[in-house]
Amino acid sequence: MNNRKLNQLFKLARNEPAPAPPEDFAAGVLRAIHREPPGAATEAPSVFDRLNLLFPRIAFGAVVVIVVCIVLDFGLTAAGVPGLHDGLSQISAQWLLAPDEFQL
Amino acid sequence: MNDDAELLERIRNGATDDFAEVVRRHQGRVYAILHRYERDAHKIEDLAQETFVKAWRALDQFDGRAPFDHWLSKIAVRVALDHLRREKRRQNEIGLPELGDDVLDWLRSGDEKSELDGRAAAELLDLAMRELSPLDRVVITMQEIEGRSVKEICEATGASGVAVRVRALRARGRLRRALEKLMQDENEQPQVEPIV
Repeated sequence: MNNRKLNQLFKLARNEPAPAPPEDFAAGVLRAIHREPPGAATEAPSVFDRLNLLFPRIAFGAVVVIVVCIVLDFGLTAAGVPGLHDGLSQISAQWLLAPDEFQL
Repeated sequence: MNDDAELLERIRNGATDDFAEVVRRHQGRVYAILHRYERDAHKIEDLAQETFVKAWRALDQFDGRAPFDHWLSKIAVRVALDHLRREKRRQNEIGLPELGDDVLDWLRSGDEKSELDGRAAAELLDLAMRELSPLDRVVITMQEIEGRSVKEICEATGASGVAVRVRALRARGRLRRALEKLMQDENEQPQVEPIV
């Protein structure tokens, strides 16, 4: 079985017409829809579906917030105001890792 | 005649029965997709109905950025994929259909000049494609029979472009081997002498 013969088979199969739907097909679909529980069509998507749909915007928003925080931190540090880094160091130095606490 | 957008807006506003018009407009396309994956007319009808019911359920998610029939086609391909996965599980329980003489003659002939009608060709392909994984089958069918682009296949299946190309290549190889095996199996079958 070479490639040309396989391609010929694809080409021949492509010519097969699809069967026609029965006359009452649309009515059958409508009956199936009416059997659906009420509210199925407007069923709220799950949290994950919503997050998935919003993903690009959320990711972009998160990047913007991070960039703004970094710029702000650099700006405050340059202006002499204690920045985010200083604040964290201060907190950890004073409260979390106060050296006096560990002296016996 | 109203276009799809106007019709869909009416349905969203509560005119559920207008969905029948959507079905009438697009049933041909849905059938055309599904019959590439299933030969039984009753099963195709069930799958087509499942496609439209799923579309109806998800109608609020259709944002109108792409044409409605593209969106619906994606649902039909997903329904076909799920169907192939279900069928694959019980494939071993079903015996293989016998190949007709015209199919065997075509398989045995070395050239591409021999004739085979579309139905027989589709049956032969269906048989050979049972050797493929459901996703490989969808990829090769969309690419080679429906003539879809890699981008369209990616959108419909959720696979990446590289994965689609690799799967298509692998599926071609497997199909060739499956067809050769079919030919060998038919040749090895013992010939029954007619009783005189």
